Amino acid sequence: SPRTMKCVIGGTHLRVFGRAIHAIARISDEFWFDPNEKGLALRSVNSSRSAYACVFFSSMFFQHYCWTAEPELCQTKRQLPLTCKLVMKSVLPVFRWLNTLERNVEKCNIYTNVNDCHITFKLFCKHGIVKTYNLAFHESEPLQAVFSRHMCPNVLKIQSRLLTDIMIHFPTYQEEVTVAVTPIKVCFKSYTEEEIDFSKAMHTKIHLNPDEFDYFQIGVDSEVTFCLKELRGLLGFAEATSASVSIHFDVSGKPIAFSTEDMMVEASFVLATLADIENRESSQQSLCLSQRQKRARGSPGKARRQNKITDYSSKKKSQEYFVCTKTHFIKYCIFQFHSLFFGAVSFKEQDVISHTLHSLATASDAEDDFDNEQLSQVV
Amino acid sequence: MRFRAKIVDVACLNHFTRVINTIAKLAKTCTLRLTVDKLYFILTDKVANGGVSMWCELNQGNFFDEFQMEGVAAEHNEIYLELTPENLSRALKTAQNAKTVKIKLTNKHCPCLTVAVELPSLSSSSRIVTHDIPVGVIPRRLWNDFREPSVPDFDVSIYLPVLKTMKSVVERMKNLSNCIVLEANLNGEMNLKIETDLVSVTTHFKGLGNPPWEDGSQNSTQDRDPESMAEARIDIRKLLQLLAGQQVNPTKALCNIVSKRIVHFILLHEEVSLQYFIPALA
Repeated sequence: SPRTMKCVIGGTHLRVFGRAIHAIARISDEFWFDPNEKGLALRSVNSSRSAYACVFFSSMFFQHYCWTAEPELCQTKRQLPLTCKLVMKSVLPVFRWLNTLERNVEKCNIYTNVNDCHITFKLFCKHGIVKTYNLAFHESEPLQAVFSRHMCPNVLKIQSRLLTDIMIHFPTYQEEVTVAVTPIKVCFKSYTEEEIDFSKAMHTKIHLNPDEFDYFQIGVDSEVTFCLKELRGLLGFAEATSASVSIHFDVSGKPIAFSTEDMMVEASFVLATLADIENRESSQQSLCLSQRQKRARGSPGKARRQNKITDYSSKKKSQEYFVCTKTHFIKYCIFQFHSLFFGAVSFKEQDVISHTLHSLATASDAEDDFDNEQLSQVV
Repeated sequence: MRFRAKIVDVACLNHFTRVINTIAKLAKTCTLRLTVDKLYFILTDKVANGGVSMWCELNQGNFFDEFQMEGVAAEHNEIYLELTPENLSRALKTAQNAKTVKIKLTNKHCPCLTVAVELPSLSSSSRIVTHDIPVGVIPRRLWNDFREPSVPDFDVSIYLPVLKTMKSVVERMKNLSNCIVLEANLNGEMNLKIETDLVSVTTHFKGLGNPPWEDGSQNSTQDRDPESMAEARIDIRKLLQLLAGQQVNPTKALCNIVSKRIVHFILLHEEVSLQYFIPALA
């Protein structure tokens, strides 16, 4: 049955919504617009599928939120698709000038228009001016990342302002950053590809005291390298909501998640990390080890997943964010796309249903060759 | 070879950062010469620079709280390094509220100038940010390439107009032409001229004053007709680089013109002196 969505964002919350759009824009040129009865999720994934962003606005965020199945409306004969995909280029202008938005706009109505595949954004501004944006969407399979935060052995929580203050020391051109942790130490450092002349690049390192974190739990010593450029989107958003940022991660090769959460909005950016495939010999043996053994929690150093990388590295080439044939490191994709037959998936639900994913039909993409092994690995 | 220096004072750090920012705007790479008393930023007139050369001198005592330098050998107690000043600029940019900034010569994967910034933090221990800036060590046999340029035998020496004004004039002219003629006389008059097929624009400055030079360099100017202009046609972008890079108004700013050959700019601040040579175009 068809679904429609109508919501109203009050003036004071427009800045937050705008910031979310800006943050997601850093990931990709298009995003999924995913309403359900609990609220509205905006999701995005980059072209190499190495970064995923999701911002979920609960219905409480809105002055008015309504998501219903209206049988009467289906007289239009056209079913509302399960999820709408919007082009960032069309949406960004609506929320581009955040300061102006805050000052001049009293509220913003968003509603889906069943008749002609449009989502309408209506800004009610001062002096009786109403700006209406009708943005076309196209249907798409819902997007979902397969990632369970609560399975991560390493969890940090830090004030967003502090995290920004840390990242500011890296030059703006710095693409990748490594976070290195032990139970008593933490440092962020710039990462440079070996191919690039080491003797030219400046290396920056920031040493922090675990005291500076609101929460600091390290289950396994690790060094993970992720894309700073993509993270900056979340940092900007977190600052707008003055939230603290939780960081969940594991060892190199496994994804790292940066998330913020408050009563009304949850944001999560999940980034792939570089996998270290240096120790090929030793890892050959561990191919035989069962999944359960390797996933022993809290066993530092043993949880290296090199063999998994070498295993399907040839399959994964198309998903690497860039091909580094000469170096030790290759990146691999952590995301899969599943077509779900029913409804959009809310952010909270993903943990619950992830264990059932392997039983759902997968999209026909060749990349979705993630076998069950991998699924149980990540999930 | 050892080098360790420390800045503790906020004003000194700020000032040092501004000097580095100026250097970074003038040269992509340059030579840093360290002696017991001074730091020099040197650019020699290679073709790659467009024939421009630069000599910037700082007294270390005006900036550093601690300064220890051990050169390559006892009788050559100096260090010459090739460096990209932009990196140093970036490292200092976010250090303005630091408790201390230490700069030392280290050997990581290659020789580096390591800038270690100690920042205040919420916890008991400070936050430490380190930047390893790769440098090249220049061997002693090449040191002769980096000698201080002598003041040329100029035709006219004149004080510059207020740099901000000069900069905005040159900025506008840059849109019209690639070359600018700088001419001046001993009557304190200077003109900046551009000439193209379509348009010529001249800006006149008067009452600038001519600095007194005590040594022999005045000889060539003694018999000179005070009204007569000495001129040089130079690359406008090089001139703009110099003017735009100035973050603080110098105490003294002057230029020496060798007609049709070279313009020698001297900018003096309290603790820093900067000389910049722009060759005349053919």
